[in-house]
Amino acid sequence: MFALYLRLVGARIRAQMQYKVSFWMELLGFGLVTGLEFATIAILYGRFQSIGGWSIAEVALLYGMVAVAFSLAEMFSRGFDAPFERMMQQGTFDTILIRPFGSFFMVLASEFQLMRLGRTAQGLLVLGYALAVLPIAWTPATLLLLPLTILAGTAIYTALIVIGATICFWTIKTPEVINVLTFGGEDATSYPLSIYNRWIRSIFLFVIPIGFANYPTALYLLGRTDPFGLPAWAAWFAPPIAALFCTVALAFWRLGVSKYQSAGS
Amino acid sequence: MRLYYEIGLRSFRRATTYRSAYIAGVLTNAFFGALRSFVYIAIYGAGGSVAGFSMSDAISYSWVTQSLISIGAGWIISRELMQSIRTGDVVTDLARPWNFYGYWLSQSLGERGFNLLLRGSLTYLIGVLYFQAHIPTPAQALSFAVSIALALMLSFAFSFIVNLSAFWLIESSGIMMIANVMLSFFSGFLLPIAFFPPTLAMIARVLPFQGISGLPAQIFLGQLTGTRLAQALLLQLFWCVALVGAGLLLLRAAVRKVVIQGG
Repeated sequence: MFALYLRLVGARIRAQMQYKVSFWMELLGFGLVTGLEFATIAILYGRFQSIGGWSIAEVALLYGMVAVAFSLAEMFSRGFDAPFERMMQQGTFDTILIRPFGSFFMVLASEFQLMRLGRTAQGLLVLGYALAVLPIAWTPATLLLLPLTILAGTAIYTALIVIGATICFWTIKTPEVINVLTFGGEDATSYPLSIYNRWIRSIFLFVIPIGFANYPTALYLLGRTDPFGLPAWAAWFAPPIAALFCTVALAFWRLGVSKYQSAGS
Repeated sequence: MRLYYEIGLRSFRRATTYRSAYIAGVLTNAFFGALRSFVYIAIYGAGGSVAGFSMSDAISYSWVTQSLISIGAGWIISRELMQSIRTGDVVTDLARPWNFYGYWLSQSLGERGFNLLLRGSLTYLIGVLYFQAHIPTPAQALSFAVSIALALMLSFAFSFIVNLSAFWLIESSGIMMIANVMLSFFSGFLLPIAFFPPTLAMIARVLPFQGISGLPAQIFLGQLTGTRLAQALLLQLFWCVALVGAGLLLLRAAVRKVVIQGG
């Protein structure tokens, strides 16, 4: 199964490389996107010394974790974005259903965006800076928690993307609301959750748990306390919450597939 | 002339029918406006002013730019022309008895006019109600109206040029990405240009994009008055003329070199 995934993904990458000019333009474009996005944050950091009581390096820790998790999720699960929407609109999803592998697997393998690694690299650099500068006590626990949280974060964002795609089964086009939650959420959680009001915090912790991709772990690593009472050890809940959220997403996907009525062709 | 007015009117009316789309749009824009506001509140903390922006200025600025998304302030919002080029429908459009550029211009003004009036003002209203966004004086509102009219034209002119690139490029996602990031960053949409470090600020000042978001927003907040206001409006006008001219030239070149896909 994994070998098949690699084959399909490899084919996608080779297909993308066929249009050389376009590929490099996209790479350049995306490089510019991440570069200027980061410049935006860097400029803000430069002008202002702290954000809600968090120093620049501490915010960089948050930003780095989210950037890596989100970019990895994007790299893997973009099949659930435009390709899936096209399948819905053009009725080609039926061909997926008759394949010998699950529809989820087929949609997942239909796209693989190598260029998202540009964002991952940027995230790792920022994370590296943060870890180098911050006085974090490295114990086996903290050493384990960081990569574990990032993996959990990747899973949570992937699940969110899948949920967004599943709504397509009913609405044909992905509603703008999902972009608010993925991109808006990623943007919002790049800053400490303590700066937002109760609504936003609750949504990003308990409804769409992307807050768990970085915030409690940052609290734990930095030995900070959350002014709203979220305990730092909640960071250890990131993996089980990610697993739960993924289960929900998968169940929702299965529901969507079962209710799917082809547009007919 | 009457024809283009009718085209614009129809485009305006068509935009009014997508009710769930613009309600979702208002909520989306308002959500991001709220996020930005919270970040500025946390950043400014005790208060103070940076590069001429107090906390309330920065918050209001974010709400203005969010409200302008629907006129194309943040990224290119219309790909219809590009799609008509991909499908080959553009050939029939070019053969019609009216001016091609004029058609797209009127259609765009109609749609964006509606977006501005409804979606834009509702978004800003939320900012006023929940984040005490700045309420303009009559003078500021008037100069803003002039500025935004120019911004609408400028935004369309730029969008037209980028869409037209489909005549020459097989795949446009790369150029779209580059165009959008240049627009969102250098227009002052993501951050006020006043915050930029000197080199980036200089680049922003020689590019046309500030006329789409940054300048109108500053005029709205009353940061540009007197001669500086006149200079800003003239700059917008200059870029309008330049980009419309460039668009027309490119259109002529495109018509000569039509490559049809599909059909």
